[in-house]
Amino acid sequence: MADGRTPSCTNCHGDSDLHTNNPAKLKERPATDRSFGKNSKTPVEARNESCISCHKKDAKRSHWEGSAHQRADVACTSCHQLHTAKDKVADKRTQPEVCFTCHKEQRAQVMKPSHHPVMEGKVACSDCHNSHGSIGPKLVKRDSVVETCYTCHMEKRGPFVHSHEPVNEDCGNCHNPHGTVAESLLKARPPFLCHQCHTPHGGQVAQLRGQLPTQPTINSSGKSGINYTQARGCMNCHTQVHGSNNPSATNPTPQFNLR
Amino acid sequence: MKTLQTRPGFSLKIVVLALLAAFGSAHAADDEIAALIRPDSSVSIGAAGVTGAENERSFFGQYNGLRRQDAYLLLDLDVIKRDDATGTWTTFQGRNLGLDTREIRFGQQKQGDWKYSFEYDEMIRRDPRTINTSLVGAGSTAPVVSRLATAGSGSDVNLDLKRKNTTIALEKWLSPSLQFEASFRNEDKNGARMFGNGMACTSGSAPSPLCTTGVTQWALLMLPEPINSSTQQFDAKLNYASDKLMLSGGYYGSFYSNQYQSMAASINGELSNPLGNQMGLPGNGPALGAGLRGMLQNPIALPPDSQAHQFYLTGNYAFTPTTKANFKYAYTHAAQTDNFSVFGGAPGGRSDLGAKVDTSLYQLGLTSRPISKLSLLANVRYEDRNDKTPIAYYNVEGNPATTAFTNGNYSPKRLNGKLEGTYQLPDGYRATLGFNYESLDRGTFVSTNSVAGLSGLRQKSEETGYRMELRRSMSETLTGAIGYSSSHRSGSAWLKPLSLSCTGLGGLSDAGRGVIVGDPSLTSITGCATFNNGIYGVNNIFPSSMTDRQRDKIKMSADWAATDQLSLQFMAEWGQDNFSSPGTKGLRSSYMGFYGVDAAYALSENWRLTGYWSRGDQTMHVDHSTGYLAALRNLSDSYGFGVIGKPMTRLQVGGDLLLIEDRDEYKQSGGSTANNNLLANLGGLPDVTFRQFTLKLFGRYDLDKTSAVRMDLIHQQTKLNEWTWGYNGTPFVYSDNSTVTFRPSQSVTYLGATYIVALP
Repeated sequence: MADGRTPSCTNCHGDSDLHTNNPAKLKERPATDRSFGKNSKTPVEARNESCISCHKKDAKRSHWEGSAHQRADVACTSCHQLHTAKDKVADKRTQPEVCFTCHKEQRAQVMKPSHHPVMEGKVACSDCHNSHGSIGPKLVKRDSVVETCYTCHMEKRGPFVHSHEPVNEDCGNCHNPHGTVAESLLKARPPFLCHQCHTPHGGQVAQLRGQLPTQPTINSSGKSGINYTQARGCMNCHTQVHGSNNPSATNPTPQFNLR
Repeated sequence: MKTLQTRPGFSLKIVVLALLAAFGSAHAADDEIAALIRPDSSVSIGAAGVTGAENERSFFGQYNGLRRQDAYLLLDLDVIKRDDATGTWTTFQGRNLGLDTREIRFGQQKQGDWKYSFEYDEMIRRDPRTINTSLVGAGSTAPVVSRLATAGSGSDVNLDLKRKNTTIALEKWLSPSLQFEASFRNEDKNGARMFGNGMACTSGSAPSPLCTTGVTQWALLMLPEPINSSTQQFDAKLNYASDKLMLSGGYYGSFYSNQYQSMAASINGELSNPLGNQMGLPGNGPALGAGLRGMLQNPIALPPDSQAHQFYLTGNYAFTPTTKANFKYAYTHAAQTDNFSVFGGAPGGRSDLGAKVDTSLYQLGLTSRPISKLSLLANVRYEDRNDKTPIAYYNVEGNPATTAFTNGNYSPKRLNGKLEGTYQLPDGYRATLGFNYESLDRGTFVSTNSVAGLSGLRQKSEETGYRMELRRSMSETLTGAIGYSSSHRSGSAWLKPLSLSCTGLGGLSDAGRGVIVGDPSLTSITGCATFNNGIYGVNNIFPSSMTDRQRDKIKMSADWAATDQLSLQFMAEWGQDNFSSPGTKGLRSSYMGFYGVDAAYALSENWRLTGYWSRGDQTMHVDHSTGYLAALRNLSDSYGFGVIGKPMTRLQVGGDLLLIEDRDEYKQSGGSTANNNLLANLGGLPDVTFRQFTLKLFGRYDLDKTSAVRMDLIHQQTKLNEWTWGYNGTPFVYSDNSTVTFRPSQSVTYLGATYIVALP
C-alpha cells in the first residue's frame, strides 16, 4: 500500500462484529457499529470523530471545533459522499446543490439577475466560505469579510486618498454577495441605498425620465431626482464609490469621490 | 475546500484498494473488482447550438461563455491514472475547452508524501446591457466623447471582463507530523465595465471660473472603466500535527498591480442640455462652459497598486478528548505607494499616499464537554488596525482657497466575544443558550478630515445579544428546531463632521476644524468649535452602520422523513431591525421573512423526484432628509422541480425546472406638499419585476461499456421590467446622447450533443 494511513472499513465503521459475522443469521445483517446514513443512530459527534481522527492534521480544518456547522451537529457525511467515485461537494459545479440543502435563501438569491456565477459553475460556495470553520463571520474563508472579497476584488482594497469607510468595514454594508435584482449586487438601488447614510441634494423624490408631468427645462438642475435615480444613480457623479486615489488638491477636489 | 477539488477520484478507489490490502490479493484477480478500482478516464467531445440573437441571450450568456456565437465546440477531458508500483496518481482534466470559460488542471500526487498541481482557468463576464454611443476608445484610458445627433444612432458597445487564473500548488510531508504547503495564484483581469463621470454647476466645490456664477449647466457621461490589472497571491505554510496539537505557521502575500493609473476623456464639440438638445444653439442655453468641459476632462483615478504581507500562526490543541482550544494570531502589513505623477495638484511634499496599515489579529476559542449532556463554547477575537498613512491637505476648496481638508485615518479596534452552552434535555430535547458581544472603536477621527453628506459620526459602537434554540428529535424520522435571537447596538456620543457648517444654528460659522462633540444637554450655542447640538435636528441623518439598532429574529425548521420514499423539509424565519438615531431620517427599519418547503420522493430504485418552493419578503423603510419617505419591498418566489431516472439499463435521463418571480416595490411619500403633489401626478416609481423560467433536460445512453452519447437541452425565458436605463419607451440619455439598453424579454434554447468515450 502506498500510504499506510489509508483507512480500512473498520477504521470508520468500527469493529462491527455483529455486522461481519451475523451470528443470528439474520436476513438483513445488523448495522455496523458506526453508521453514516440518514437514519443513522450513531451520534453525530461519533460519526465525525471517524473522519476527524485522520483529517485533524489538515490546517484548513483547524477551527472545526466551535464552528457554526459543528455546533449545529452537521455531520461530515451530511455534505460528503464517501462511497462514490466523485464527491458532489468537491466539484464546484455540483457543490452548491449540496450547500443549498440547508441554505435555501441563498439558493433563491443566486438566481437573481445580478449574481456571482455560482449556477454557471464558475464560483463555488467554498471560494468564499470555509465550511470547516474560520475565525471570520459567516465562516468566510479569510479572516474577515473584506479580506475574503479582496481575494478577487483587490482593486477595492486601497488604501485610497479618499476612502469610503464602509468599504473598509464590511462589503456587506452595501452588497449582498449571493444575488440581487439591483445591478452590482447592491442591496438596494441608489439613491435609496446611499440615502440610508447620506443626505445630499435637496428635497427631490426619486423620479424617471419620461415620467414627469412637467418636463425639464434648459435650466433644470443636474442634481435632480432623475439623475440620482436612473442609470448609475448617485454614482453617475460620485463614480469613485469605493474610494479615489486622486491626490489633486484643486477644485473640484475629489473628496466627494467624483474623480 | 479547494484541496478537496484537487483530489478527484479518491474515495471509491482508495476504499476498494484498502479492502484489497486488508483482505488479501486473491480478490485482485476478480475482474469485477479490478474494473471498480481502475481509475476512470474519459474524453467527451461534441457540439452545441444556441438559438436567437445575441441580445436575446444576454442574461443567459452573462457568465457561461455562450453569448457571442451561435455554435460551440464541447470538449471535456478527464484522465486519472494510478501507478500501482509507486502509488502515484496523475490527473489531467479539461473542462469547457471549447468555450471561453475553459479550465485545465494537471496534477500528480503520492498520498501522504507529496503533491503538486497546475491549474489554468478562464472566467468571463459579459455585461447583459449594451451601450449605444459615439464614444471612440470605449474601454481605453483616453476615450473621446462626441455628441450623437440623436439617441440610439451610435454604435453598439458590449462590455466584457475576462479573468485568467493560473495556480500552482505543492505539498510535501516532511515527516509523519510535518507538512509543507505552498501555492501561488496569478489572475490577469482585462476588459471594461460601466463607469463614467458627471458634474453639475453651480457647485460649492467648483467655484467660478470653473462654474460660471448663476449658470445652471451639467453633464453626465458614460465612460467605461478600462481594466488591465493583475493580482498575485502567495501562500506558504508549515503544518505540524501531533496527537494533541495542530500548529500551522506561514506567510500570505497579496499584490495588486494595475497597468492603468487614470483615465481622462476628451470632449469634442458640444453636449446636450437637460432637454436633450445641443448646447449653445439658439434657444438651447449657453455653450458648454470651458470650466465644466475641463472638469469633465479631468483625470479620473483608477485603482492603485497595493500589497499586503501577512504572517500568521494558527492551530488547535486538545487538553483532553472533550476540552479543546483553537487559536490564531496574524500580523499584516499593508502598503499603497502608487506614484501620483500622472495627476496634477498633489499636496506639496507628497509623491504618493505613502499608505501603511499594520493590523494585528488575535483569536482564542475553547470548547468543552464537561459532562456528556453539556457542551460549552467560548470564543474571543480582537482586531487592531493601525493606519500609519501620513496626513496631508488633499482638498483645498474655494477660489481663493478658503477651506482645506486632509485625508482621514481608519484605525478601528474590534472586539468580538461569544459564550454558548448546549444541554441535552430529556425526551430528545436539546437547548442552546448563547451570548454575543461586539465593540468597535473607530479611533479618534482626524480633525481635519472631510466627511461628506453626513450629520454625525460615532467613535464607538457596542452590541450585545443573545440567542436561544430548542431542538428536538421527535422521532427517528422527525426533527425540529426553533430559535430566537436578539441584539441591541448602541454607541458613544455623536460627533459633528467638520464639513457640516453651523448654518441655521444661530448664524455661527465653523470656528474650528474637526469632528466636534455634540452635546444635547447644552441649550445655547457658544461656538461650533466645542459642540454643536444642531446635529440632533430631526432632519439630520446618521450612518446606518453606526446608529442604534434593535435586531430580533426567529427561525423554525423541521426535517421529516415521512416514509421510506418521501422526505420533507420545512423552514420559516422572520427578522426585524429597528434603527434609532438623534434624527428621524435614513434607514429606519427593515423586516425580512423567508419560508420554504422542500420535498424528495423516490418513486423506485430508478426514479427520484425533487421539488421546492420558497418565498422571501423584505421591506426597508428609508427616509431622505427632506425629500421622501420610502418603503422598499422585495417579494421573491422561487420554485424548482427535478426528476432523474433510469428507464433502461443503458439510458439515464433527468430534468430540472426552475422558476423565479421577483418584484421590487418602491413606495414613496413626499415629505413635503410639493413632493406629495408630484408623486400623485407621477404615480410613483413603478415596480421592478424579474421572472426567469429555466428548463434543463438531459439524456445519456451507454452505447457499450466504453462509450456513451449525451444530449442536453436548456430552454430559458427571462423577463426583466425595470426603469434603470429607461421608462415606458423613454431612455435615460447621457449628455452625449449615449444610451444603455437590454432586451427586456429574452428566450433562448441551448442544444448540445456529446460523445463520451472511456480512455484506456
